[in-house]
Amino acid sequence: MKKILTIIAITCITIKGMLLINGCAATSEIQAKSGAQLWGENCLRCHNAPSPADYSDAQWATIGNHMKVRASLTSDEITKVIEFLQSAN
Amino acid sequence: MRTLKFMMLGLLLSGFATVYAQDATTGATKIVVSGAGCFGAVYNADEDIKVNFNHYGFSPVFLWKLSDKLFFESEIEIQDGNMELEYGKISYSLNKYMTFGCGRMLSPFGAYGERWEPMFVERFPNSPLRADDEQLPDDTHLAWGAMMGLDVRGGIPLGSAKMNYALFISNGPLLYKDENGRPTGLIQYENLLDENNTNKELGGRIGILPFSNSSLEIGFSGKHGIAGSASDSIMNLTDSSYSNYAKIGATATAVDFNYVKSIPELSSVITVRGQYTSLTVDKADYYLNDSTNYSFDNSQQNYFAQFSIRPAMVKSKLFKNLEFLVRYGSLTAPKDAAWGAKDLNGAGGAVTRLDLGLCYWFSWRSGLRVAYEMTSRPDGTKTNELLAKFVTGF
Repeated sequence: MKKILTIIAITCITIKGMLLINGCAATSEIQAKSGAQLWGENCLRCHNAPSPADYSDAQWATIGNHMKVRASLTSDEITKVIEFLQSAN
Repeated sequence: MRTLKFMMLGLLLSGFATVYAQDATTGATKIVVSGAGCFGAVYNADEDIKVNFNHYGFSPVFLWKLSDKLFFESEIEIQDGNMELEYGKISYSLNKYMTFGCGRMLSPFGAYGERWEPMFVERFPNSPLRADDEQLPDDTHLAWGAMMGLDVRGGIPLGSAKMNYALFISNGPLLYKDENGRPTGLIQYENLLDENNTNKELGGRIGILPFSNSSLEIGFSGKHGIAGSASDSIMNLTDSSYSNYAKIGATATAVDFNYVKSIPELSSVITVRGQYTSLTVDKADYYLNDSTNYSFDNSQQNYFAQFSIRPAMVKSKLFKNLEFLVRYGSLTAPKDAAWGAKDLNGAGGAVTRLDLGLCYWFSWRSGLRVAYEMTSRPDGTKTNELLAKFVTGF
């Protein structure tokens, strides 16, 4: 039990430290990324990128929730990706 | 009769899927039914039955968006005559950086189980060599599987990099028992309802994406839980005293990596990924047989690494849909355990596997996967098989 508590403590300190160092903010370059760019970058990490035409707007909104959870995407990323897919289908 | 029952159920579920997929295109319905189906075959020149259609599966995934913050997802997995709920999880978005989840869920330990194992994602017709493979008795589900519990997770921007995290508490692992009801030192994960003590397993994964284009992710995972219980005891056969397994814990760690890169010079996309998993169980005595106790250093290691290249940017439609694959894996059981693969001297050793594969993609989620699988065991025996699997996502 001591071992796992140590691991959790180190993990929390690491996360907190990284947040403090980086201010928990994306750079302007990252913030400027389009939904299309994020769609290509993030979907391909695990599987082929789907076509926007594969699903309707309502379906993309639901799938967005699924992928946000499954791939632990940031809120800003998934919002942009879904907006792109809904605009391009 | 059983097969017929599953086929009927499959037809019903696919009908359900079609109805709801159509409904979701209009109105306020926020349900999506997705998933995949598959069919597989194996060729082994050394077997009496050289060709066997040996695998089928149908796994509908149900996604419900109940509100902007509340979400439910589940998957029913029907494979080779077995059916089970793979996962059923409720998630609630607490803020931009954290989502709370509860239910039966895929373990975030390692990257394979959550991200690379789904039927339409896995490019090979088979899974990597793993700790719940035929090389060890029973399903141990160390590297991936489901769990019952709670998690918090999310993604966080870190300047030009980013990270993601998942921390969980779940029903803990169990000491696997043999046919006589005696613990063997093997650990069974995927303990969904049969908890044997109040101590819960704690664990998590942290993923770091150091590059601004998210092309590389390195993940670090760990989990620890008490696997034994006070009701599982062993008699010392020399002095007839009893001791129990109440404090026997299991600690697992994993490192995974994933690199995906478009290379215009090769008109291709390459993917390099892998996972290393290690499990250490606290030392304990076990029955070697009815007259002997024994103990051993209970530590096992398992890893795989794979490379694939897909010339996705060439003009030829045939070649742009082809993906060439190679994967190597190893599984090392405890050297002195009574179970696991043994060499000719009876000592434990590594089982290794090399897979050479090819995938032809008909769409982003459907394809034909073929692989030549070469497995080597420490006793010198080898198994070579040609595997094929057709997967269609929907």
